[in-house]
Amino acid sequence: MIKAKRAPKKRGMKEGGGIAATLMLAPSVIFLAVCSFYPFMWIFRYICYNYNGFRATYTGVRNFTRMLSDTTFWNSVGTTFEYAALKLVFIIPLALLMAVLLNQKLRGSSFFRGVYFMPTVIATSISGMIFTFIFATGNGILNGLLQNLGLIGKPIGWLTDQKVVMYAVTILSVWAGFGNYMLYFVTGMTSIPEDVYESAKIDGANGVQTFFKITLPMLSPVLKVVLMLAITGAFKDYEAIMVLTNGGPGNRSMVMFLYIYKLIFATQAGTQAQIGYGALLSLVAAVIVGAVTIIYQLVSKKLDDVV
Amino acid sequence: MAKNESRVVYSPREKAIRAILWVFLAFMALVTIFPVVYVVLGSFKENGELLVGGSNIFPKKWVIQNYIDAWSQANFAVYTRNSLFLSFGVMILSLINATMAGYVFSRKKFPGKELLYGIFVAFMFINVGSVSLRPLYELAVKVKMNQSLWAVILFSVGGGQATYIFLARGYVNGVPKELDEAAKIDGCSFFQIYTRIIVPMLKPVMATIAILSFRQGWNEYILPMVFTMTNNNLRPLTVGVNMLKNAGDGTAAWNIMFAGATIAIVPILIVFCCFSRYFMSGLTAGAVKG
Repeated sequence: MIKAKRAPKKRGMKEGGGIAATLMLAPSVIFLAVCSFYPFMWIFRYICYNYNGFRATYTGVRNFTRMLSDTTFWNSVGTTFEYAALKLVFIIPLALLMAVLLNQKLRGSSFFRGVYFMPTVIATSISGMIFTFIFATGNGILNGLLQNLGLIGKPIGWLTDQKVVMYAVTILSVWAGFGNYMLYFVTGMTSIPEDVYESAKIDGANGVQTFFKITLPMLSPVLKVVLMLAITGAFKDYEAIMVLTNGGPGNRSMVMFLYIYKLIFATQAGTQAQIGYGALLSLVAAVIVGAVTIIYQLVSKKLDDVV
Repeated sequence: MAKNESRVVYSPREKAIRAILWVFLAFMALVTIFPVVYVVLGSFKENGELLVGGSNIFPKKWVIQNYIDAWSQANFAVYTRNSLFLSFGVMILSLINATMAGYVFSRKKFPGKELLYGIFVAFMFINVGSVSLRPLYELAVKVKMNQSLWAVILFSVGGGQATYIFLARGYVNGVPKELDEAAKIDGCSFFQIYTRIIVPMLKPVMATIAILSFRQGWNEYILPMVFTMTNNNLRPLTVGVNMLKNAGDGTAAWNIMFAGATIAIVPILIVFCCFSRYFMSGLTAGAVKG
């Protein structure tokens, strides 16, 4: 009895400010409820409806059957995988290479680091726009430079040719993002002790051997996190692509989140918003991203066991 | 290979290798900086020169007419004001919101705390893309908030808050609890401890949050685009300059678009040059969560 009586008093002495704490936490909880939780629940409300922003009619499984036969959507899923693969193949080795070189402590390293990181602070919508100027077929500077150097005979249709547009998209995303991953690697490398390198040098290891025998293995925890971030990031990219190509030419660079955006906000003149269908595709897209993430986790764990 | 600079003596072969590496680094820096230099210098070209193209980077004739036109005719004065309002709004609200929540999460015990925090973190990873903007838009229309940028500011803060709360909570955890206790003995209330003890101690992490949220607001694109579909006078720079591109006769107005793009990137680049430390520390601190 005495204990029970004393406990609340002690707690009151020690803690206090319950109302203040509630009020201070309230904004973030309200933000969470309104900006994160509510939209998520809202999606489920409409997946079985045909909803154009004004009127919603229940259509049962029609959205679902439509999805199964929607080749544009499945092509956009394929394009998303293609884009993610292209981006990762270039951005991770490049980021790693630049980080290793910066780690050599050459003159001006911190300046270079700042320069490589710079594109990440520019709005993706603006960098997308800058690259539409650079990639322009007729008057773009890239074709101008390549022609001047005699590397190409006639202008390349970077954004109008279905065969090359994915490379243009990849160049933009690698330019805009490699500094990000580079910085993770640089930070990871600072935790590798110097004397490991020194003893490797005494043993006569050259630069390449040092990289594969020391840097890479000791960096593998960081590498795993970076790969994870890069994979999920690549699947979610669509803002820059929207500005650069808007999915064209002929849906060649249409990634799934861009296709969904177009369905939901009816950006093309003369089309109606198809929100219910877009909501369903959003869920499917989220599941695809989730599945890729889980598969990656399993694979990287398996690799851990083997090595 | 990484060495303690002051002590190491390089052999001639090593010196040569290091020189080659340096040239490569410099070349990559040039490639990285090229698009920015190209657009900034291009904004001083006459439209005729831009439309012809070629491989000139420097203008044949320097003109500032593009900026005058962009500012007065193409509404860029309004866009710039909106961008400033948006980014400072996001920054200030994010700072207040994240430090308060981080303080409570770090210092206050209450039932369900871990669960609530877990939900915050979980929604960092659940991504359904643009679809979540639709209910928010309809909500803003319902409460008549779609006629000002406040809705954009609030939804931007709400969308980005988890990372900042994470940063703030981590930092408050590092502040010794003895300081709180001492302040409490001196008669400070829970809220006074926050304003007098915690906030002054949080300056470094607040700088990081301020920089990151300012950039977030300045660079926000799809959110304000959706909310300003019908209202040209609310558009920030990112949206306004891209509207020109989609305006159909976009090719004709390259000079205005170059000037607009420059106006949109130069302020954030200046902020980056002054505070690059905070941009980078914010990134690596945020990575710990991964």
